[in-house]
Amino acid sequence: MTGKIEKSPSPSEVGFSVMSRRTLLASAAVAAAAGGVVLTSCGDDDDSGGGGGGSEVTFGSNYSDPKDSEAIKAAIDSTGLSVKINTVDHNTYQENFNTYIQQPDDVVCWFAGYRMRAFAGKGVVSDISDVWAKLPDMSEGFKNASTGLDGKQYFVPFYFYPWAVHYRKSLFADKGYSIPTTWDDFIALCDQMVADGITPLAAANDGGWPQMGMFDMINMRTNGYDFHVSLMGGKESWTDDKVKKVFENWSALLDYYQPDVNGRTWQDAATALGNNEVGMYLLGTFVTSNFDDTQQDIIDDIDFFAFPAIDPAYGQEAVEAPIDGFMMAKSPKNDAGARSLLGALGGAGAIDAYIGVNPAVVAANSKAKTDGYNALQEKSAEIVGAAKYISQFLDRDTDPDFAAKVVGKAIQDFLSDPGQIDSILSTVEEQKKTYTFE
Amino acid sequence: MSGHASVNSVGDSRLKRFLVQAVLGTIAVAWLVPMVAALLSSFRYFERDTQVNGVFSWPKALTLDNYREAWRVGSIWGHFGKTMFIVIPSLFLILLLSSMVAYACSRYSWKFNVFFLVLFTAGNLMPQQVIFQPLFRIFKNTPWPDILSDTDTGSLLGTKVAVILIHVAFQTGFCTFVLSNYMKTIPKEIGEAAMVDGASVWRQYRQIILPLCRPAFAALATLEFTWLYNDFFWGAVLLNQGAERPITSSIAVLNGQYASNYNLIAAASMMIALPTLAVYLALQKHFISGLTLGANKG
Repeated sequence: MTGKIEKSPSPSEVGFSVMSRRTLLASAAVAAAAGGVVLTSCGDDDDSGGGGGGSEVTFGSNYSDPKDSEAIKAAIDSTGLSVKINTVDHNTYQENFNTYIQQPDDVVCWFAGYRMRAFAGKGVVSDISDVWAKLPDMSEGFKNASTGLDGKQYFVPFYFYPWAVHYRKSLFADKGYSIPTTWDDFIALCDQMVADGITPLAAANDGGWPQMGMFDMINMRTNGYDFHVSLMGGKESWTDDKVKKVFENWSALLDYYQPDVNGRTWQDAATALGNNEVGMYLLGTFVTSNFDDTQQDIIDDIDFFAFPAIDPAYGQEAVEAPIDGFMMAKSPKNDAGARSLLGALGGAGAIDAYIGVNPAVVAANSKAKTDGYNALQEKSAEIVGAAKYISQFLDRDTDPDFAAKVVGKAIQDFLSDPGQIDSILSTVEEQKKTYTFE
Repeated sequence: MSGHASVNSVGDSRLKRFLVQAVLGTIAVAWLVPMVAALLSSFRYFERDTQVNGVFSWPKALTLDNYREAWRVGSIWGHFGKTMFIVIPSLFLILLLSSMVAYACSRYSWKFNVFFLVLFTAGNLMPQQVIFQPLFRIFKNTPWPDILSDTDTGSLLGTKVAVILIHVAFQTGFCTFVLSNYMKTIPKEIGEAAMVDGASVWRQYRQIILPLCRPAFAALATLEFTWLYNDFFWGAVLLNQGAERPITSSIAVLNGQYASNYNLIAAASMMIALPTLAVYLALQKHFISGLTLGANKG
């Protein structure tokens, strides 16, 4: 165990140095110009690179949704390199990654933080610190999220998307609701919604992951980001009063939930939000992808706010924003080509091309264009900018197996029978012992 | 008493028949519900119909859009080709090799023939997944010239040859079992007569036994085609190139990262099921005899 505790980037590090939207926009022109420069210089490098530069690089992609695959192709085309894309559907890619990484493509898609460190630690991906030397537009925070326990970089971040409480602007305006920033305001708003005949909180947990986001938020608001990281790292007891407090706070919200949480898909809950049957919905910003082109009015009407503060000591300092990006295989067929591809994907040009096709995410590169951002993207950048800490999501911040089989199961059990929480937590603590968290 | 009883037994048997038919009818309906639901879903719009009204609602409008999109996005035709690339050579090798083993073990009496027969048959009982890890390593460490595969991975892992080999290894056991039972039903005298006429072992196998086994081959080919075609596991774990996967594993691409259009998946499943359905309908007779072949040993 090396002493270095992984920390998610703080926003100033992430490059949103508590920037207001105006400054962000003001810097957009500069950024756009810089993006162009970075892009051309990448192309030049490749052409004059000779040797490995000309030959093909293979790219293992989990961007399998039609829009995503089109977007990643645009990003790769923008690098001007010769790349062969191997697309595997998102879920299979993730589930099979252990075997896939034993015979991988040169550059592979993956997640920042704990998930990356697990494979860096096993020595199945390459140290790409030299690529990072050529990524001046990646802030220190993203660098930390890309750094293994040995202090070397193994990951190039591409984009992120935050989790927040979504609502319909029109509903809030009609009923005169205001955005709650404290727990008491939040509960009061829920009561008000009940009085108005609206179910306050959309709640889904089909697949076992959507409610993990709720746990993360309540834990970070109740006990702070450091405790959350420590708990995820297996260093705290799940029977601790602090953890019990999380579930006590959570129980207070259950009265406002849609019933039968465990069986509902997140899409069903999103549809309920779209129909104004529910008032608020904690989910990633991908919630809008539930609505198709015919429902643009709903998409435009959706906004979000940061999860309200519980303990004033921690305020709203933490936000959940998973980062996606790329790693390099242990011994790629085309080492030089893979490194130049990673460098180019870390540049502003690639993510600009991606967002040009699929504007559901926010660029990791601080020089990426922001003038094309829609309202939700701007807000995403803002909410991450206002936060002090960024977590990656429960199943990315701890052993994925522990997250799914132990914590995920515990959350399901809690939701179906909140009264059993003490024995549920003892079970988690018991099962935790079989995991090494390394 | 006897007269009384017979009247009763007529009533009994009627009641029994009614009960049997009621039970069978219920099971048949229960069996059909998911299939009919899938078939119906495949013709419905997802976002504005199924998702809002539920799977068991009556469709508002029917469409072929799901089929068009699944065909395009799932590149069904291309992956169908990949499946055939695996299934046809596998089928040929399985039948060839198992008929040889069956011939040697059932038509001749030698020291290890029973042992080998048991070995091959017992192989059927092993769940395939348990040997995945060692097999994965063996394939990974076996160099394989790129010229002999369509995916240049350098080792056997990631090539369709690997998938073909594993299918041959596993299915040969079952086919050996069936074929040897079938061959035992062919009178020994035929072989003896041929021997007297001077036919070699090879000639007896090739010109006498193989032609006589045609019904068994037809039945096995039908069964095996369905099994190999439907394989999901090996295609998914051994082939790391998404574009090279057989149709059953590749269809997962229609699952979205966050959202899945289940009607689209239903449409794709319907298209994928068509070839096996066609084989079944065309060769129904063989299919059923295949399942019972070897059940009554001669």
